[in-house]
Amino acid sequence: MFIEIKGAKKQYGTGEAAVYALDGVDFSLERGKICVILGPSGSGKSTLLNMIGGLDSLDAGEIVVDGQRISGLSQKARTAYRRRSIGFVFQFYNLIPDLTVEENVQVVAEIAEAPLDMDEILAALDIEKYRYRFPRELSGGQQQRVAIARAMVKNPRLLLCDELTGALDTRSSRSVLRFIEKINRQYGTTTLIITHNEAIAGLADTVVRIRDGRIASAEENGEKRSADEIEL
Amino acid sequence: MKLNKRYARSIGANLPFYVSASVLTMVTLLMFYLFYIAGTGINAYGDAFFEEYRLEDATFSTYAEIPDEDVPALEREFGVTLEKERFAGVDEGAYRVRVFVPNRKIDRYEIQTGREPASDDEILISAGYAEENGVSPGDPVVIKGKTYTVAGTFLRPDYLYMVENVTDDYKNVTTFFLAYMTPAEFEAQFGGGSVNNKVVYGENADELAFRRRVNDRYFLSGYLPAESNMRITFVHEQADMFVMSSWFILVIFPFLTVALVCILLGRRIRAEQKLIGTLSAMGCERSRLMLHYSLFAVIPGVVGGLLTAAAALILARPFGSIGLADYEPMRPDFTLPVWIAAAGVVVPTLIYFAAAMLRVRSLLKVETVRLLSGQVGSDAKSRRILSRKKTSVRRKFAVRQLVGSPGRSMVVFLGIFLGAMIVAFAFSFIDSVKAVGDQAHGEFGTFRYEYVLNELKSGRPSGGEAVLALPYEDGDGSRFTLMGLDADAKLWNLTTVEGERADPEHGFYVSTLCAAMFGVHRGDEFTFRSIATLEEHTVRIDGVIRNGYQSYVLTSREKAAEIAGLDPDRYNAVLSDRALDYAGDEVAEIVSDTTYQTQMENMMRAMGGLIYAFMIIGVIVCIASLYATINTMITENGHSISMLKVLGLENRRIDSMILSANHLLLIPGIALGTAAAYGVMAWYCAEFVEIERIMIPATLSPKSILFTALITAGGYAASLLLLRRKVGRADMIEALKDGRE
Repeated sequence: MFIEIKGAKKQYGTGEAAVYALDGVDFSLERGKICVILGPSGSGKSTLLNMIGGLDSLDAGEIVVDGQRISGLSQKARTAYRRRSIGFVFQFYNLIPDLTVEENVQVVAEIAEAPLDMDEILAALDIEKYRYRFPRELSGGQQQRVAIARAMVKNPRLLLCDELTGALDTRSSRSVLRFIEKINRQYGTTTLIITHNEAIAGLADTVVRIRDGRIASAEENGEKRSADEIEL
Repeated sequence: MKLNKRYARSIGANLPFYVSASVLTMVTLLMFYLFYIAGTGINAYGDAFFEEYRLEDATFSTYAEIPDEDVPALEREFGVTLEKERFAGVDEGAYRVRVFVPNRKIDRYEIQTGREPASDDEILISAGYAEENGVSPGDPVVIKGKTYTVAGTFLRPDYLYMVENVTDDYKNVTTFFLAYMTPAEFEAQFGGGSVNNKVVYGENADELAFRRRVNDRYFLSGYLPAESNMRITFVHEQADMFVMSSWFILVIFPFLTVALVCILLGRRIRAEQKLIGTLSAMGCERSRLMLHYSLFAVIPGVVGGLLTAAAALILARPFGSIGLADYEPMRPDFTLPVWIAAAGVVVPTLIYFAAAMLRVRSLLKVETVRLLSGQVGSDAKSRRILSRKKTSVRRKFAVRQLVGSPGRSMVVFLGIFLGAMIVAFAFSFIDSVKAVGDQAHGEFGTFRYEYVLNELKSGRPSGGEAVLALPYEDGDGSRFTLMGLDADAKLWNLTTVEGERADPEHGFYVSTLCAAMFGVHRGDEFTFRSIATLEEHTVRIDGVIRNGYQSYVLTSREKAAEIAGLDPDRYNAVLSDRALDYAGDEVAEIVSDTTYQTQMENMMRAMGGLIYAFMIIGVIVCIASLYATINTMITENGHSISMLKVLGLENRRIDSMILSANHLLLIPGIALGTAAAYGVMAWYCAEFVEIERIMIPATLSPKSILFTALITAGGYAASLLLLRRKVGRADMIEALKDGRE
């Protein structure tokens, strides 16, 4: 398995204010697959993504990605893990406002061990013509494509997408999902998408439902569709 | 109002900023307070002491002693108080003593420790020497072969600055002291001794008429007004220097610091624009928002001001005592005036309050939508710098940080500049004082000894070169020496500022110090008068001789004698390149080639504490201002820092992107701060000409420049080091949440 999670627990706050964001999550995913994790707000899906991405640490349990045990890594080792293995795409893009499109991508390319060709990525995501623009000069859909380019340029083993269409209109959402699909196909990147949007589950090879910090269900998607086929 | 609950919470979150801003406010205000307290304390003490112990207006000596019975008549006729003071000089080898019979009317003494002498075997000695050498009441002191018991120690108003000779440049309390004996004992030891006359002029007294009468009847041999007597003038002059320094410090350092804190406050408020926009959108009144943020801003002012007042109360005495290092052990009352303490709290507080209010006001003039999007204050133009250049993102980001936020860059620059300036000033002071010790004798000449004789002699001395040196004054009573040299004189420095050799046989030359003090230049006519006859003379100045330590007009011995109305072969000083055998009572003063060096070393020893305290303050200002600034910079870039961490950039790399741009400011900050310090030192030295009557060469050695750079860079590195941890602690999850706002 590419991702294996066993008994993952994470608690925020203490005493009466304690909230179990993850309460014994067990989950696995094969390499090269697209997995969509569905769940309502506060269900723990973002926490799970942060744990897999090495942004936060578990209180208990274990996460193994591509044979590497993530839980228990030092801050420095987690930084190296993120640098080598993980591409992030966030709902609100989180681009660096003082850098142009090209520079936002380049900043990651400069630290990657084997970066992909930046021009190729920009062309693949159809944002080449905006390369000298700053994030605030772009639409939401365009910014999200820059965020995907930034995540992909390092050729990550795992692409983590947190509500990547949450701030986009239907047209932009479809466009972005098309690119996710294309990247998965073209580079074989294992992709994990967390979302509220049930429709996006149509893209997935595996659909996981999470509720109150626990996995409610995890199923193979027998009716996988393309981005153009799903109803957003 | 619920919004006010943010006060306590926000203070905790912004504690580093408030602490550093308060420390900055405190340190710079404290420098002003301490100099002001020292200056005003010494001045107040001097005024009171001079009045109580009846300070002289002048000391004079005559060739014919004024008969005791003439004194009341002179007092009545000229409206003066006149007193004859008997004294004698004794050289005991290890120390020299000037013994007096106590005065009754003028320059009376105040007992500091012990009591009045109860018998002829007891004496009083000057308090500075006693303190320096650990002599206490009851200890024995040998004078002229007889052992006396020290009954007590004293201060007198005309010796609060204990220079042995009025021509000396620094005090001597290690090998020289004053002593009082009973009149009977003095008579037994010294007979009549020497006589100096002390005079205090009444309100309508005619000083010149009095001096003419004294000269006509008793032949004045010397006249030293109090305002030319460094033992007296030094009290107020050094105190005035402290006060002047305090206002100088007030104008420069607190102004810069307050400006710095205001800029930082403005940026912190701008960082809250989303919240301000939200509150405004919810209908919060402008005045309420302005007041809310202004109250945050007063914290550094109130805390800094109160801490300063508290620190000033604690430090006033020890710091003031450092300022007293040059004086006899005076006991001034060092207090912080309430209005100054209150101003120290109120003024910065009001400025910070107003700065915050104006910043919020200007933000609220912008469309709320822009505030909510956090776009106010972003400089789109500067963002484009290097945008199409093929260079590393790290470099592009760093350059934009630097150029895109000129206010912030200016604050970093100011912090480096201020720190370098204070540190370099302290080094420059040390270098300049050392330069006096190293260079002074070279400007005098190549002689090793100068013997100032007690009386005029004729002919040529054996083993040395004759000099006729006589005191003269200008119309304002400022003193200089008229010097006459022989044509074949080799030991006196005769090099002019143009590098030529002066020709005293055929002209008149002034020293650079004399030129500066009296504003005369080559080609000018200089009018001066005899201190005895008050007869005026005018000479044309043919050149300026490089000598910043002695104020003189130089000519041939014949011409000098002619002006003084003496025989042409008279002399009263001898220059020699070896020690000469003069009897103790023949010589009034011996200046050796190490005299200046010793005096300057003593000066540095006395003032070292003050200088090093100044240097430490410079380092604190540097660290605190940079800490406050860079802390603000990290806060402003918090989201980008967190995002870069999410993307997998190491802390070291993030540091270099966010912080390294400021390294570029180190060089101009240190260079300009050092240059400014040198400028301030040059100004200080120019002021010293009036006060100390020497031209201290403003000096800053390459070694000091290097140390300034190292110390300032060290302070910069220390603040970066403290803040690197903050970069490391940036919360990635919180930053992602922020991105959703």
